[in-house]
Amino acid sequence: MPSIRLQGVFKSYGDIKAAQDLNLNVEDGEYLCLLGPTGAGKTTALRIISGLTRCDEGKIFFGEKLMNDIEPEDRKAVMLSQTYSLFPQLTVAENILFGPDIRGFPEDVKEETLKEMLNLVRLKHRPDAFPRELSGGMQQRTALARALASGAEVLLLDEPLRALDARLRISLRHELRDLAKTLGITTIHVTHDQEEALVMADRIAVIREGRILQVGTPAEVFDNPISPFVANFVGQSNFFVGKVIQKREATEVQDDRGHSVLAQPGGCHVGDQVVVGVKVGNTEISKEGEGYFEGTVERVLFEGRNLHVDLNVPGIGRYSSKIPSWRLGKIVPGDIVKIKWSADKARVFAMPEKGLAEELKVE
Amino acid sequence: MPQVELRNITMRFGKVVAADEVDLTIADGEYVTILGPSGCGKTTLIRIIAGILEPTVGEVFIGGKDMKGVPIEERDVGYVFQNIALFPHFTVQSNVTFGPMVKDRSREEQQQTAHKYLELVKLLDKMQMFPSELCGGEQQKASLARALATGARLLLLDEPLSALDARVRVDLRYELRRIVKQLGLTTVHVTHDQEEAMSVSDRIVVMRVGGIVESGTPQQLYTRPMDIFTSNFVGETNLLEGWVKEREEGRSVIELRDESIITVEHCDYKEGEAVVISIRPEFVFPFTDGLLSKIEYLTYMGTYWRVMAEARSEDRVEFDVPAVEGKMYHPGQEIYLMVNRKAAVVFPRPREGIAEAVKLE
Repeated sequence: MPSIRLQGVFKSYGDIKAAQDLNLNVEDGEYLCLLGPTGAGKTTALRIISGLTRCDEGKIFFGEKLMNDIEPEDRKAVMLSQTYSLFPQLTVAENILFGPDIRGFPEDVKEETLKEMLNLVRLKHRPDAFPRELSGGMQQRTALARALASGAEVLLLDEPLRALDARLRISLRHELRDLAKTLGITTIHVTHDQEEALVMADRIAVIREGRILQVGTPAEVFDNPISPFVANFVGQSNFFVGKVIQKREATEVQDDRGHSVLAQPGGCHVGDQVVVGVKVGNTEISKEGEGYFEGTVERVLFEGRNLHVDLNVPGIGRYSSKIPSWRLGKIVPGDIVKIKWSADKARVFAMPEKGLAEELKVE
Repeated sequence: MPQVELRNITMRFGKVVAADEVDLTIADGEYVTILGPSGCGKTTLIRIIAGILEPTVGEVFIGGKDMKGVPIEERDVGYVFQNIALFPHFTVQSNVTFGPMVKDRSREEQQQTAHKYLELVKLLDKMQMFPSELCGGEQQKASLARALATGARLLLLDEPLSALDARVRVDLRYELRRIVKQLGLTTVHVTHDQEEAMSVSDRIVVMRVGGIVESGTPQQLYTRPMDIFTSNFVGETNLLEGWVKEREEGRSVIELRDESIITVEHCDYKEGEAVVISIRPEFVFPFTDGLLSKIEYLTYMGTYWRVMAEARSEDRVEFDVPAVEGKMYHPGQEIYLMVNRKAAVVFPRPREGIAEAVKLE
């Protein structure tokens, strides 16, 4: 299967810049999630790779081959949209064999392909069903089988799980990934759901305003985000704005009220105005002991595995924390708690040019 | 504030029974979420409360009054749809003051109302904009302000967050609950998203194929579900097949298919009975003995690793380990797993099979 490379790709629709110097490498057989908010240019990137959209500038390679002038049907890259676009008047088997049919494959090859595909997507028992008779998950698998039967070597998935129920979405994540990995097909999966990306991707590429901000394994992107936006988009974060006053094994940052916090070393100098970001799941709260500062518990919401706690910190604003749910009843609204984190869990970022609020906008 | 009561509601669409003898009471000021998979009848139920649908059989009472024949505009309900339904050629402010209760008032009163509710949903700075100039989350907040501005004491939310991006959805959940609690409204919220239901609700009503499976606080449904479907639908869980081997005071021993045993505290079934143990991934942990299992793969979840394993008993077992311990585990590794005996919930083995009993679609 081919690797994919985008080099300096630009695309505008009038004033809207859907791709601004897009650079991305996807390895042969890799499962890459392209993660970003609505309007970030995710679908445009997929359409440019599939050939459905021409870019204004830049190069697209599959392996070493330049694809810019290759027609979509000759790219062996299949794009699957969130609505699956199955032919409603055709059965599952007819949908799957649509590609092989128009290409005039011999009967025995078609039969073999069909059998293989039905097995793969666990629809052996439903070849004669029409799409409307199938559940959402089954329709999705049929669409996938159709894409694969046409000899796709690159799979481009545009929010493939979006139309499904939340709980079903969670159970289908592994199934979809396993299928792509079993076939060794190079896959780009577009999503706005950071948890989906964490669970499914070999690597995540975070995209915003037509630019790739960061590419890395789920652990890299979650633990070492490159900007406050990434820190907050991939797992929610709390932020602390201040000045670097000391750098040793940890960075010490202090705000104008004299609160002082610790963060990872690196990337800044004493005297710099910076933003410290720490994941809500790594923000510790306790009624006793020490903390960087105090906050008042505003609400405690039971979320199953965790409690979501919202805090009001005087002079700083809203902080949140996720704590294990066995602490339910031990932390209640009105409690004054100490807030802290371990220095290695907090990242230091340069103060964004347009300000923190603008940087963190998710839509 | 109104109490809502559904008595023996049945709704048929041709051969399809979308609601089957449903009884449900929602207390004054309560935030209730009706949760279930696609096609379970939850939207039908909220439409019956709103008066958009007339039930085939049964009665709806709002604030003690029988709603038979009462049209939607006289039921005093605010309704928010999944698909944002703002008037595109009206400003946000005009959208909010459009409601029938507001329209007849003086200009000044209308402005006060708009101000009050737009402040509540934090859109005051955007009141002169048109819907197309707002992003999805803001549009849905404007829809909410419009529903609230009618002065309705009963708020009906029909998948209000489903059309939004995941990250925006999470932020809006908390806002939604804050707003309705501040106003003290009775709220019925329909969703297929169990996380959303847990975050916003006082009580969750779980529905499946036209009927209510059970209802309870988020904590009750997550920690002590009464039905095996709920255990898997509200949060993820491991389901282990076994038989009650021994029963003693305060604990039971369950034997799995490979003869390994699990001890649990809460179990109401007799010796020899076929059962299923439901145990959440955060309550399974590696130990020196227990269920012999082989790790298949690990997934990074940010603050922890989720490990998928297959037990020798052929049950699939998922468990969580802290982020720093991820390095200690790898695919192919054999380990022993232990179950937190307090957290295990035991169900009778469903006659139709486990897969069928917890099917999501």
